[in-house]
Amino acid sequence: MADQNKKEPELKFYNEILTPSELFAARSRSRKIPVRGQKDFFPDDSDEQRRRLEQSLTEHWSLISEERVEKLGNLVKATWIPSQQIVELQSPAGKFWQTMGFSATGKQFLLPEEALYLMECGDLQVLHQDLPLSIQDGYEKFLSSSTVSLLQYQVFGHLKRLGYVVHRFDPSSQPSSYARQLNLPQSRDRAEKRGKRKRSDSPSTTSSHTEAQEESDRMEDKRGVHEGEDDEKLPESHPATSPETSGTHNAAASSAGAGGTWWMADVLGDQSDHQPTSGSSSHRDFGSILFPDLGSREHLSSCLASPDPSLLPGSLAVGVCDVSHWRQRINLREVKMSPKEQEREEARRKRRWDVNKDRQVRRCRNWAEYRELLARRGGRREGRPAHLWNREVTPLHDPRQPIPTGQLLEKISVIESTHLLEGASRLKDSDDWRICFNVYQPDSVADFKKSDPGKPYSRMCVCSFGGPVPDLRAIKQLALQSGDVLVVFAVVDHGDISFYTFKDFQLPTDVIP
Amino acid sequence: MDDRPSSHAVGVSLCDSAPLLWRVEDLRTVRSQGLVGALLGSLPRTPRQNVRLGRPLLLLEEEETLLRERQAAAAGYQDGRGAELRLQVQQHKEDQQRSYEEQSVLALEDRKSALLRAMTSSHTESGAGAQGGALRGRLEALDRSFTFPCSALAVQLSTARAGLSYCPEARVVLRADRPIRGRDELNCDAARYQVFRDLRGRGFYLTSAGKFGGDFLVYPGDPLRFHAHFIAVCVSENESVGLLDLLSVARLGSNVKKTVLLCSPGPDGRVLYTSLQWSGMV
Repeated sequence: MADQNKKEPELKFYNEILTPSELFAARSRSRKIPVRGQKDFFPDDSDEQRRRLEQSLTEHWSLISEERVEKLGNLVKATWIPSQQIVELQSPAGKFWQTMGFSATGKQFLLPEEALYLMECGDLQVLHQDLPLSIQDGYEKFLSSSTVSLLQYQVFGHLKRLGYVVHRFDPSSQPSSYARQLNLPQSRDRAEKRGKRKRSDSPSTTSSHTEAQEESDRMEDKRGVHEGEDDEKLPESHPATSPETSGTHNAAASSAGAGGTWWMADVLGDQSDHQPTSGSSSHRDFGSILFPDLGSREHLSSCLASPDPSLLPGSLAVGVCDVSHWRQRINLREVKMSPKEQEREEARRKRRWDVNKDRQVRRCRNWAEYRELLARRGGRREGRPAHLWNREVTPLHDPRQPIPTGQLLEKISVIESTHLLEGASRLKDSDDWRICFNVYQPDSVADFKKSDPGKPYSRMCVCSFGGPVPDLRAIKQLALQSGDVLVVFAVVDHGDISFYTFKDFQLPTDVIP
Repeated sequence: MDDRPSSHAVGVSLCDSAPLLWRVEDLRTVRSQGLVGALLGSLPRTPRQNVRLGRPLLLLEEEETLLRERQAAAAGYQDGRGAELRLQVQQHKEDQQRSYEEQSVLALEDRKSALLRAMTSSHTESGAGAQGGALRGRLEALDRSFTFPCSALAVQLSTARAGLSYCPEARVVLRADRPIRGRDELNCDAARYQVFRDLRGRGFYLTSAGKFGGDFLVYPGDPLRFHAHFIAVCVSENESVGLLDLLSVARLGSNVKKTVLLCSPGPDGRVLYTSLQWSGMV
């Protein structure tokens, strides 16, 4: 008996049950919150401060201890099903059904976080085993790592109280990177695909196309390098005509395809054949090979001797050539000039730069090389010196090509700007950072359709200040997962929630147009 | 205020391993010890706003550790459903029925008094006799025909388990010997805890300061009435702090008009405090 007496006041002390009269009186309760006044700066033990503190505290406790009272008719009833971690509605859903819950097997269900939020709003009464659950029961039963954690629920509740529509994020509903490549609503992907197919010379800024260009450039450069090597080797080698080389000559000439390198193929053919037999061939002395000058005033014999058979291909035999009838056709009359004209002619002749005296011209062994020499000389005059341009590493920009300043600055920039999704597809999903919720704006509630919500306003990733800051890897991976919807990090700190987001940003370039 | 038992332990319930307090009296007890905590739930009066929140109260790690040290906290009772579930359900139904009956009586009385007020206020001039008869007639009619529909029954949606009539264990006074969690589970940072304890011992109120870039916000009095004066940042004595970090935390402090307090717990239990305040050139 004594124990009973002792328990009674203690039980009453923690009693939070409202009596029926209290419940009845609750319908005329005020729905307003008293406004908080200005805070004081420093405690000075004054009565005024103490009085105000007591008033604040009393008001605080009365608000905190107030219980939710609702008429049964206004409440939607539901049951908690622990095995499925879901809440099944027992009476028809109210206005909240437009943005929350889902139907399955002819019944209406709510997700645990949605049910808990509605319980806190006083719209839903959830029963388990025929007994009503308190909010405390809801927090302890509905929130877990397998449903929604306490941190995530705090963010959920915060956003719902502001009016947003918040749904769970389903990563499998996002298109995979392959699907994204196929569907391609984004213009960036489309440009890449086009770049991969065409191997044209049109300039493109996408990375894959420049990769393709680089590859073909590299292949051409390899050939150029090979050519260069052969150029050096040739003076040492002794290419000589022989019946064997003729075959390779022809074969090489016919097999080599593009461009003006058929002569190189010849040389290659020569070289490959003559490398093992380098000792036997003789050095060709071009000084001794006479090139007949039929227009010369000097009296030549009327016939030309047959050329050296070593200079001729194959088994070709050339006899003596009678050039008399050619010489008849040439006007060999001497030009009669006055002394002045003769002087002028002499001066002109002296001034005339004999191309044969040019050392660099003498070094050219054939017309192709001479043409190259001319091109080089011409290029240097026009601002494109050949020694810079015919190597692996060429200048960044051809000065003959017009280019706007902005593009030139881009070319010389050492730091390249990148975008957030670059390289993101190569990253593997990590377990540490996951998107939890899709958030839709409040003003879309009127025509919100659960079956087709549309693109969310943002996606939430919940973390805490005690945990790590998301690194670039996590940000890229989440941005990729989210697609074109902004990812917002909701950082929870004991009830306080701060929202952060990372966006692509372009540094402004100072370009004088 | 005075009859609050000081030997009672507050009931700490773990939700997702976070320490929560649900019972109003537990919240009052904890506040009287100078521990503020943070409210997480919707406020019952106005649930759709974020300015003022309601129960549960989330404790800081340091607050929970301090309560345990003072033997002032215990694990709250788990699920209200006992072994005798059927009895509980029956009890609950009976309670509902009793509430229904009481409320219907109250509702009838309320209607009668409303009728009385209406009739007496509108017929002040006419004679009392005839009016009295009409009034009695109306009241008797009300007695006969009045029904109190079930849907009008007001029910309580309890915040804490202590508000559930079928859960008496939730209203029990707890003893500190019921451990809240396993011994190794709570790994409160020792440096932070020492600083917390010292500042609390000096009479300051402390809350979390994550979004201010520090460890604690230090109030000279109850946060309901005073602004925070300091942002406490815990730095161990032999830890070297980069100048840029110091500058950034000082900048933060000056932006929000608070002094930054660098707190270094020493080996003998004393804590060394260094304050940073941005001052202009003199």
